[in-house]
Amino acid sequence: MNAATLAERLHAYLPVLLAGAAHTLMVSAVAILAGFALGAVLLGLSLARGGRGPLPALVAAYVSFFRGTPLLVQLLMMFYLPSAAGLDLPPLAVAMVAMAANSAAFQCEILRAGLSAVPAGQVEAALAFGIAPRQVFRYVQLPQVARAVWPAVVSEAIDVIKNSAIVSVIAVADLARGGRQIVAANFRPLEVYLTVGASYLLMTAAVFAAGSWLARRTGKGRALSARVVNRTAIRS
Amino acid sequence: MIDFTLLAELLPVFGQAALRTAALVAAGMAGGLLLGFAMNAMRETGLRPLAALYWAYTTLWRGVPFLVHLFIVYFGLPSVGLRFDPFQAAALTLAVYSGAYFAEIFRACWQRIPRGQVEAARCMGLTRRQVFTHIACPQALRASLPLIANQAILVMKESALASVITYPELTMTAGKVVAEQFVYVEPYLLLALSYWALAVLINRLGGWLRRRAAL
Amino acid sequence: MALDSSPTPPPAGVLPMISMRGVGKSFGAHRVLQGIDLDVHAGEVVSLIGPSGSGKTTLLRCMNFLEAYDEGEVWIRGALLGYRRTPSGALAPETDRGIAEVRAPVAMVFQQFNLWPHMTVLANVTAPLTLAKGMRPDRARAVAAEALARVGMAAKADAMPGELSGGQQQRVGIARALAIHPEVMLLDEPTSALDPELVDEVLEVIKSLSRDGMTMVMVTHEMSFAAEVSDRVVFMEQGRIVAADTPGRIIRHPEHPRLQAFLRPWFRRSLQGGAQAGAQA
Repeated sequence: MNAATLAERLHAYLPVLLAGAAHTLMVSAVAILAGFALGAVLLGLSLARGGRGPLPALVAAYVSFFRGTPLLVQLLMMFYLPSAAGLDLPPLAVAMVAMAANSAAFQCEILRAGLSAVPAGQVEAALAFGIAPRQVFRYVQLPQVARAVWPAVVSEAIDVIKNSAIVSVIAVADLARGGRQIVAANFRPLEVYLTVGASYLLMTAAVFAAGSWLARRTGKGRALSARVVNRTAIRS
Repeated sequence: MIDFTLLAELLPVFGQAALRTAALVAAGMAGGLLLGFAMNAMRETGLRPLAALYWAYTTLWRGVPFLVHLFIVYFGLPSVGLRFDPFQAAALTLAVYSGAYFAEIFRACWQRIPRGQVEAARCMGLTRRQVFTHIACPQALRASLPLIANQAILVMKESALASVITYPELTMTAGKVVAEQFVYVEPYLLLALSYWALAVLINRLGGWLRRRAAL
Repeated sequence: MALDSSPTPPPAGVLPMISMRGVGKSFGAHRVLQGIDLDVHAGEVVSLIGPSGSGKTTLLRCMNFLEAYDEGEVWIRGALLGYRRTPSGALAPETDRGIAEVRAPVAMVFQQFNLWPHMTVLANVTAPLTLAKGMRPDRARAVAAEALARVGMAAKADAMPGELSGGQQQRVGIARALAIHPEVMLLDEPTSALDPELVDEVLEVIKSLSRDGMTMVMVTHEMSFAAEVSDRVVFMEQGRIVAADTPGRIIRHPEHPRLQAFLRPWFRRSLQGGAQAGAQA
């Protein structure tokens, strides 16, 4: 079949690419959100009890492994090692778990940097006034951490979207795999992969723009007013 | 659980594969550093079209996954007559991809040089090129070393994707052993250890270079 | 003096606000404080002066256990601070809650202000009241408004700390300390981080607090101010109290040779004028 103009061919690619893009965004979203939650947990574990005990070292080992080895290797290990033990896991699930586990290592360190950016004097003053450590975290540290880490989190989100292309290797029907499928059928690799590349560019640009917009909206003067601090204090 | 004799047998195979990964990393770093430096130098001239070129390069190359870059080069370029073998394709793509990151690293380090120093030099009659060579370069390059060392680790991690276009580096080698011998634990263990060892090596090298540069 | 010896607590008759006996503190091998004996009585203003590294700030911070002292004992209104006595008579570390209870009457004003930048001025002052003391929000706001008015910052209640000058921020810091109705205020070089023209507004506030009878312990380099406002001046060097007396005998007419050496630059610059400088030179 001889597809006519470039425009018509591009139009024909759309269904496959859109379906792939949907998978890409889904896997990425799960990875980013689960990665954030897990990263926060990891940080909490490594800071618990003033950094004593085996937990900080365990977290450091986790972070070192997931940040120091290729994502592809982590993905392959999580996919093939269980199957050696007889477990057949669905590729999509493995992809989401692997990417979340990977992102968690990065987000743990992002959050750690954000937390240490809050001047120690402010925490000291809060404690000196008798405010309990849990409340110091919630009212003094957390609001400032959230604001400080936002650019790094947006950057990590963009990295996750780009990394998600790797899951095509274990046969997840994402955007990169959609491209391969089309190429296998119509033998126009340059055109198709350039289109795929442009699609990723669109996604990462959109995330960046959204991130910047959100930063402007929440950063500007939306301070913790006395009302908010006091009202929430009653509930706790 | 772990077959240590198998591990010993696999060592030479993985050793060779590690060398191939190292070759990819070296090529990617060399090409990337040169390209990144050139692009930043181009931007530093202040000419508008060159600056636009810089932004186009860094945005386009960093906004698209490395895997897609690889596909474009290895699968796509032959249709316009440019055919590369797996190593060439991987090395070239890695160089141009990491070049975009190095360009941004150099830009950050160049912009960190206090404006006052540049102004003082210009006042004393130094040309833009002299300021670049004698004032900016020494300080900015020294400042960029930790960032470059960090980026080297990232280049090492991206090199694993060369396995997808069948270059027999570490990841592909491990996959081969798994597929041919139906063993899982030993190859993947060696794989993880090999990357970890490479990372340690890169960090050591980076530290040594930094100490030399501090003289 | 080891932690498990039992020096006698001060006599129950006139209980000092703060009482320190044999207090010492080391940072690793470095001895920062040793053999500190000091009483601060209600209504007193005590200034701590001395060269850098003399341990003045560490001593102040031991008074509200921001630094854990290693030797001796500190009492706040007769209650042991930071430690509790075990049945055997030794000292064991106190829980966070226990420490908070003992140091509740103490409020601190910091050199770097340490305001919380993401909260409004009013929120900065109400936070300790609602979060630490569990006060109702409307009552907290009223108390905070009063404290802010006391330091002249009532108009800026809804401003953010970042919008204020250093002097204004420090006054908010003082209001935050006042709002908890403390019985003693600790001031750690309250004006050292301020531009010269902003120092006076803060000193004025501190002076008015002293006139109202607030008990204060202040580390400061403002010698004229210390002389003017203090009941007692304590001179420290290398972790020890070298001299403690009235401002007249410590600052204006020092007899101790090391004191004289320390104060010489101030004398030369002071309003006491040429005659004094000539006599000291």
